[in-house]
Amino acid sequence: MQEILIQLNRVRGVGGSLLVSSDGLPMASALREGLDENQLAATVGSLIEHSQSLAKHLSLGNPRHLHTASEQGSLLLMVAGNGYLVVVIDSQANLTLLQLETKPFLERIAQRLSL
Amino acid sequence: MESELERLRKKVENFPSASAYNRLAELVRLGGDIAGAEAVCRRCIKEFPRNGQAYVILAEIEMVNGRKDEAVKNLLTAVERDSRSYAAHRMLADHYIETSRPPQALQHLRQILTFKPNDPAVLKKIEQITGKPPTASVTRQVAGSPYQSAPGRPSEPTPLANKILPASDGLGGLVSEAGGRGALIADDKGRVVSSQRLISQQEERLAALAAEISKASQQALTAVGQDQLSMWTMVADQGQVLAFRRERTFTVVILAEPGVRPAMLEIRARQALIELGAG
Repeated sequence: MQEILIQLNRVRGVGGSLLVSSDGLPMASALREGLDENQLAATVGSLIEHSQSLAKHLSLGNPRHLHTASEQGSLLLMVAGNGYLVVVIDSQANLTLLQLETKPFLERIAQRLSL
Repeated sequence: MESELERLRKKVENFPSASAYNRLAELVRLGGDIAGAEAVCRRCIKEFPRNGQAYVILAEIEMVNGRKDEAVKNLLTAVERDSRSYAAHRMLADHYIETSRPPQALQHLRQILTFKPNDPAVLKKIEQITGKPPTASVTRQVAGSPYQSAPGRPSEPTPLANKILPASDGLGGLVSEAGGRGALIADDKGRVVSSQRLISQQEERLAALAAEISKASQQALTAVGQDQLSMWTMVADQGQVLAFRRERTFTVVILAEPGVRPAMLEIRARQALIELGAG
């Protein structure tokens, strides 16, 4: 699984990636050195929970992705089978293009997780 | 046979954990040893300062003993450590009701609704305070209430929240955009300042949940070394929610059709903040 994340990190604009379970536990990580995967996974767990509550409250169906941005960059959280893929994105990246390029990786991860 | 009390005492000596301390404190208190229970809580706080429950137990003891100021301080610490502490929010709400500070009480009761949306006791208390079921208009009335100048409140009112704003301020343009279903402006505590085309009650929870997502988003961005959150978008099968933030003070939250591009709405959202004097 980590190999898939390392390949994903080679996509232009990707600054790291992490796979977490729905309850916020890290499953695989390819983050830049010095970043705390447990801390990020825990906050992502909270984001997943709140996003699900929000989608349920507004009857929007299942959340597909959450994009959270600052001026220095952003984070993209996407459903990947039974898990969630978190991608750290550079500020200059084209989000639409990056989402398209990420799709095959999501499929591969979902496939692996279903085994 | 070893009693539960003895087992827990041994456990906190040999394999200490916050939950073991909490249970031990409760048991010691039930046994009538109040000073002992307080000592267990203080030791737990020293070893596990992030554990919110120990502050709650300590506050309960202090309340019973008439040390209300200390109890409130510990309850505020408890909700800071664990924003989902039902007991701490309820005790704080009761305290603020007793001391005639309904806005502060409402704030804690509404916080409970973000994680226990249909709690009958909380809904009843809100109704008792406001005289009607919780709605967005109540939030706005509370935001503009003179009670907000009362001392010792858990959070400061924002300048904008002190104004009673017409429901459509600055948001008309946003929801008339193609794909915009409704929108609101909330302050950093998740209180609705203004809203447009959102049904009653929907806006209160939307604002509260959006505030929680903003908080978690900021933590996630900080964890990867990035700076202040400026916006987030949650896309679901049948719609999306977009939030645009300004200096951790006000957030424009938009409920939109799934295909709408965030950039289309961002300009309008920033304009809405400017029109309200928050930009």
